[in-house]
Amino acid sequence: MSAGERSLRARVRLPLGIGEVQAWQALGLVAIIALFVFYPLIDRNQGDVSSVADAGYFLLLVFGLNIVVGFAGLLDLGYAAFFAIGAYAYAMVASTQFNLHFNFWPMLILSGCVAALFGVILGFPTLRLRGDYLAIVTLGFGEIVPQVFLNLDKYTGGPNGISNVDQPVLFGYHFGFNPVPYYYLYLVVALISLVLLNNLKHSRLGRAWMAIREDELAATHMGVNPVTTKLLAFAMGASFAGLAGCIYAAKLTLISPDEFNFSVSVTVLSAIVLGGMGSLTGAFIGGLLLAVLNFKVLPQVTNWTHALGAALHNEAVQNLDLHYIIYGLILVLVMLFRPEGLVSTASRRAELHHAQPAASAAAAGVE
Amino acid sequence: MHRPLIIVVALAVVAAGCSQQSSQTSPAGSVIKIGIELPLSGADASIGVPTQYGAQLAIKQANEKNLVPGFTFQADVLDDVVGSRHDPAQGAKNVQTFGADPAVLGVVGPFNSNVARAEIPLSNSLQLALISPANTNPTLTKGPDAIAMRKDHPDQIAYFRVCTTDDIQGPVGATYEYTKLGARKAYVIDDNETYGKGVADEWEAQFKKLGGSSLGHDHLTSGQQDFHALLTRVAGTHPDIVFFGGNSSTGGGLLRKQMPDAGLGSTIYAGADGISDNQFLQDAGPTADDVYVTVASVNATKLPAAAQFLRDYQAEYNQPVGPYSANAYAAAMVLIHAIGEAVKGNGGKAPTREQVLDQLRQTKDFPSVIGTFSFDANGDTSNRIISIYEAVKGKWVFVTQQNFTGAH
Amino acid sequence: MATFLQQLINGIAQGGMYALIALGYTMVYGIVELINFAHGDVFTLGSFLCIAILALLGVSASGQVIGGWQGALIALLVILLAALLCGVVGVLIERFAYRRLRNAPRLAPLITAIGVSFLLQGVMRNWKGPSEISFPQFLPNPTFSYGGVHIDARELLVVVVSIAMMIALQLFIYNTKLGKAMRASAQDRDAAQLMGINVNSTIAWTFFIGSALAGVAGFISGMYFGTTMFTNGYQAGLKAFTAAVLGGIGNIAGAMLGGFLIGIVEAMTAQYISDQWTNVVVFSILVLILVLRPSGLLGEQLPEKV
Repeated sequence: MSAGERSLRARVRLPLGIGEVQAWQALGLVAIIALFVFYPLIDRNQGDVSSVADAGYFLLLVFGLNIVVGFAGLLDLGYAAFFAIGAYAYAMVASTQFNLHFNFWPMLILSGCVAALFGVILGFPTLRLRGDYLAIVTLGFGEIVPQVFLNLDKYTGGPNGISNVDQPVLFGYHFGFNPVPYYYLYLVVALISLVLLNNLKHSRLGRAWMAIREDELAATHMGVNPVTTKLLAFAMGASFAGLAGCIYAAKLTLISPDEFNFSVSVTVLSAIVLGGMGSLTGAFIGGLLLAVLNFKVLPQVTNWTHALGAALHNEAVQNLDLHYIIYGLILVLVMLFRPEGLVSTASRRAELHHAQPAASAAAAGVE
Repeated sequence: MHRPLIIVVALAVVAAGCSQQSSQTSPAGSVIKIGIELPLSGADASIGVPTQYGAQLAIKQANEKNLVPGFTFQADVLDDVVGSRHDPAQGAKNVQTFGADPAVLGVVGPFNSNVARAEIPLSNSLQLALISPANTNPTLTKGPDAIAMRKDHPDQIAYFRVCTTDDIQGPVGATYEYTKLGARKAYVIDDNETYGKGVADEWEAQFKKLGGSSLGHDHLTSGQQDFHALLTRVAGTHPDIVFFGGNSSTGGGLLRKQMPDAGLGSTIYAGADGISDNQFLQDAGPTADDVYVTVASVNATKLPAAAQFLRDYQAEYNQPVGPYSANAYAAAMVLIHAIGEAVKGNGGKAPTREQVLDQLRQTKDFPSVIGTFSFDANGDTSNRIISIYEAVKGKWVFVTQQNFTGAH
Repeated sequence: MATFLQQLINGIAQGGMYALIALGYTMVYGIVELINFAHGDVFTLGSFLCIAILALLGVSASGQVIGGWQGALIALLVILLAALLCGVVGVLIERFAYRRLRNAPRLAPLITAIGVSFLLQGVMRNWKGPSEISFPQFLPNPTFSYGGVHIDARELLVVVVSIAMMIALQLFIYNTKLGKAMRASAQDRDAAQLMGINVNSTIAWTFFIGSALAGVAGFISGMYFGTTMFTNGYQAGLKAFTAAVLGGIGNIAGAMLGGFLIGIVEAMTAQYISDQWTNVVVFSILVLILVLRPSGLLGEQLPEKV
């Protein structure tokens, strides 16, 4: 082992509770963060920056749901409802709807709080439910919320939604329609969330969530209070969605009830499972992959097949729509070949493949 | 230890997704791009794709006829469907992508009103021409919301549309059904979407103003297939007309099909252009009688240019024209015309987006396949001809057309 | 009163369809504890297959009504073929998408199911196009009226077929060897295996029967509504799954009860509240019932396995 190699493998202690990693991993982490920081300066196409910025709200949703599903093991199929609640909470008080123009920054926090409150409201009656009964109740909640926003048209604009939502202003700088400041806002919020979540995961509460996930009965007997633990998971998970909804509404300047349907909840859940349940790196990578796939690649595929068909003068090719097929195949294949997700933590692998000793696969990096 | 590998793969995918666009930027010289921004996949494809073809046909013909000497036009097509539905956020991103490409001088689109709400402020801010072939919701161009949507450049509108709005279409229909068909008691149903609810509200208001009564107004649920319960309730109020605001794809044909089951088989059924397609006739089948619809354009047979367009479209794509294909063709043509004028004004050089917009705002008496039109100060078309059709034996038969002149 | 009875009939007809689809959900869930999200799309596929089979038999959407024994024979043939094909599709889905994941983390097969659902939708989208497609209405549809209440042959068809299927299924599960194997595998898969039950083939049969029922539902839904579309499986599947949970998932009578209940609640909401609130009312009732009876209406209150 050369000196250079050895220094790459040296262990470095990172701040903010990220923990001890090998030097090359720390370097990689710095490089990735630097790439994200400088990305808008490299890519001058505003459409692309906007797409990557929108991956930001999707990542926040993934982080939030990861608390509920990944950490606490509570299957939530109606998570988009909290996204909607956050978006409406901001849009109703910062638009021409009621001619209220609350400031964006306090509302950012407040939207998160409103969503958290609804998280508790949903969580409370479902505490007794287990497994898939919980899933179906959350699914129902996810259907009810957008429908209520749609039906209460006197307050919410009904199917038109709310347009002309106020854009943020920071120290006199107007965000406007430029995607770059939104990109950095998402980046900052996402990085703070990652650090917070990483610490949370290893905190007392984080361990309580995992205990509940693995065996609720045993956890209760070990002194974990299932009621507060579960409610906290619902509330904290929902707050991320509320936050994301607020920024989403401000960036797009528009919200309408059909943007918060079941497919949003499903896509977020898929990202978590695809990435690797309970792992923050996994959530991050799964979220990024699905965001790129949904916002960038799949809409392009339609354009390509249409263009190809037009070039070949082939009507059948031109009318082809591979959107669903590709998306479906990716979900199926990833799960079949990596059922534990793309990134699996050592402990998770140990659960699944009892033969392998957990110790041999050392856990490292942000998890 | 798969993590680093996966990160590399993930970043490569991100990079691929991004670089794919940048390769399209500005092949300088004589190519001018026209953006086409429509819903092209999922369930929206049935209406979006024929619309796209309409715009592409215009671009192809403009090149063949060399309408703007020294320049060739190229279509740059983007889809605004995410998952399975048109998505306002995706639409906004598409407009930003067009905005980043200096070769794009104007965009034909969007199709859906809620996508338009996200794109109008953006196109106004970027000063990039946006011409919709299909947005009929009046609040996009008129009223306080519309004014707020163009707050970046209040006097320099960048959004135009070639179709007549629902505040004209709805009342014309209501007037016809009240005066000519003698309907007095109406039950109004809409699909609870922007277009459907908008046109149903306008229709209902005019119907009441004329002296008719509205027995009820219900909204469907998205994806609903069974209307028996709703229709039983409707039948209990004994209407002589049922008005539906919405599209064939949101239940217009199915609703009619199930009306006889509730004893409403001989009740008049009326709607707007959303159900004026062949899909409605196919869905409603034998029940498509006593059905009247308004269409916000002239009757094609009364306009030689339109007949020529239908032939060309058929020859090019070998499939029936969609309800908005001609609108998209006209939208692309008026844009190409404005670009041509701007080129002239610029001494034969490629114009700026502002110059194209200046020309568009001055559009006056432009002859097109959907009739001669001008743009007013809000970007709305002066073409306010509403045609009325009746379904007879599985075909739409032209009844009459009205030129709506009344100020609204 | 006539209106109320009429709405009851409307609700029962729609509910019968939910119930038929719910049977598939509940059987699969009972035995492998998987929310088979693709089940709703198998139902839609059933409608698509019926249209294709009818086309092969020369029956088209614009065709004539075929009465008497000829019509009945065609209907029977189409139902059987659609059920068979859907059953095969169900078995294939289980074999290729779920079997490998039987011992994987609980959410992996759920995501696979969602993937299969998209896949089926994509296939149907490219097969018949993105719009509503007509379902041939080849059977005569006489209406029977009594005291202002109407019921037509199609509504009777839905109700009769769904109840007949439920009875047949109940008899099958409690009186045949395969049925017993299914119940045993649902109770404890490992123990069933040890007792000499071939769990793999039992699960495959469960998927076959559940999917075949979805195929039957695809036929009667096509007859009842006259059209179908590649995305229809989502709403239908959602309601059917809700029905299964409402009744107590894994419980066949519960699935039927849940289906009829949801259909009736929907009809009554449309009549006495407003059509736009049907989903809100249905799901609110679901939440309420589960809060009061966490295992559904007829579900067993099982103690937690330790």
